[in-house]
Amino acid sequence: MAEQSANSADDRLARLAAPAVTEAEATPPRHPRGGVAARIFSGPLPWLLPAVGALALFYLYPIFEAVRLAFTDARLFDTETQLSMRSINSMVGSSTLGVILRNTLTYTVASVVGQIALGLAIALLVVRAERARLRGTLVLRTIVLAAWVIPAIANGIIWQLLFSEAPFGAINSALRMAGVAPVAWLSDPGNAMTSAVIATIWQGTAYSMILLYAALKTIDPALYEAAAIDNARPWERFWFITLPHLRAALVVNAILILIMTLNMFDTILALTGGGPGRATEILSLYAYGTVFQNFELGRGAALSMLLLVISLSLTVVLIALLPRERRG
Amino acid sequence: MMVRSRSERAADWAVYAAMLVLALAFLLPVLWLVSLSVRTQAEVFLGAARVIPEAPTLDNFARVLRDGGFQSYIWNTVKLASLGAAGAVALAAPAAYALSRMAFRGKGPLMLGILSVQMVSGLVVLIPLYRFMDRLGLLESHFGTTLLYIAAGIPVTIWLLKVSFDAVPRSLDDAAAIDGLSRFESFALIILPLALPGLISAFILNLILNWSQFLIPFIMLSADDKWPISVAIFRFAGSTSAATTQLLAAACLLAILPALAIFVILQRYILAALTAGAVKE
Repeated sequence: MAEQSANSADDRLARLAAPAVTEAEATPPRHPRGGVAARIFSGPLPWLLPAVGALALFYLYPIFEAVRLAFTDARLFDTETQLSMRSINSMVGSSTLGVILRNTLTYTVASVVGQIALGLAIALLVVRAERARLRGTLVLRTIVLAAWVIPAIANGIIWQLLFSEAPFGAINSALRMAGVAPVAWLSDPGNAMTSAVIATIWQGTAYSMILLYAALKTIDPALYEAAAIDNARPWERFWFITLPHLRAALVVNAILILIMTLNMFDTILALTGGGPGRATEILSLYAYGTVFQNFELGRGAALSMLLLVISLSLTVVLIALLPRERRG
Repeated sequence: MMVRSRSERAADWAVYAAMLVLALAFLLPVLWLVSLSVRTQAEVFLGAARVIPEAPTLDNFARVLRDGGFQSYIWNTVKLASLGAAGAVALAAPAAYALSRMAFRGKGPLMLGILSVQMVSGLVVLIPLYRFMDRLGLLESHFGTTLLYIAAGIPVTIWLLKVSFDAVPRSLDDAAAIDGLSRFESFALIILPLALPGLISAFILNLILNWSQFLIPFIMLSADDKWPISVAIFRFAGSTSAATTQLLAAACLLAILPALAIFVILQRYILAALTAGAVKE
């Protein structure tokens, strides 16, 4: 039925347009079939209501509730709460928050830059290989993307097995075989952050790769042909053709990855649990622990609002970097 | 056929070498998991010296699969992931239709609002929702958990479906209206069938994201028999000792295999879903 109308849409239009118009003039505007139901469904409200209602209930309401809770001294299992600034004061005043924010900054910047850089490098490589008609590009793309499909919690477990300092840890036992001293990947505070970043980049790169690959494919090949005639060097082609054309895709990509990384919870929880000490504890883990381990609901709500404010303000900053025509 | 110069051929080899290194970097962690999962306990302790074990065994898989708990984790995951994906598509489709086909006041801000919901971490909403769900009696239930999966999937699903509905020519709507079809009929009989690939992409993307979902069930469900596989392997990883590493590897592999299988078989749809909207020119 649908395909039929797809094929004959235009001539059906031609056949039906004229009588429909005269009919409309002759009789007052009336909805084709059914009365009330059709009229209700002609406006946007009933169409939007289910989805928007669900979002209002499970996103909008909780955000307001979190703001309210942040201004109370609520604890998870007490119903008695009083308005107070204690939660916010204790959050801002604690020396831990500084450590957590520094961890969050290090982890997010390193992971985001790593994912975009590696994703771009692989995308360029795949495009270059496709242009030269080399075999195996599809295999490489599939392998990289498969990492993205692995659940983040499993990603944390896999990298824990790789970084493990026990005899069965893959990397250390390989190093030992090569005669190199093993590294304290997870038990040394400095290394633990590096390990967490590596695990995050390994999994997340696929997303950047596929977005940037799609964007690279939209660049007009004629530009590169013109550059070849002008004897442009490879880095000149990259700098003057590729990068400017990728700007919008890079910014969109940066926004999406930034949000995913800032909110990352699973990989770090399974890999280091935030440790050793607080060495890899980022804001999301800290907020979780505050609410569900220390039961300080008010303070946890304040921390989660801080996470939300950071996400939104960084997004706004990045949107300002979009080329003009893509904004708005 | 173009003749490739010597320097171009040298560059081709460099590209091949780089591709090989990358493929290995992305493959080795998973191969290591496979290697650990087919080892006996004794060979696990030999580390990288026994990447290919001398006495490979499927015993670890058998032990994990025979475990009644594991079967219930997989069933719980299938149930939560598919109901969550179906619910998200069902609620998002009408909204995407309205955003694609109707002009109304506040449409721009509404779309921006839906998009910005994606900026909100699950943790931000789960902290206040915990008590709310508890009061409604939905904590510790699959029903309540599914509702949260659906809500989490709605924004990206609306976005994907709007893109695929936009691709259906408007002349079809006009023809349908002239034929006397109501809005609802033209949505159900014309738009939905023609946008079927988009609906499938959205469903599969939701399915994979839900298979990976950890935070929602981790916070909502504390009873062992309600857990999906993501929560179960995390709890298992926390309780294992070095002596059960091979079992953890087998369980972890079994947990990611369904998602990997869906991905490899339906790669085309997933790529369509991932790139839709984000690289629209």
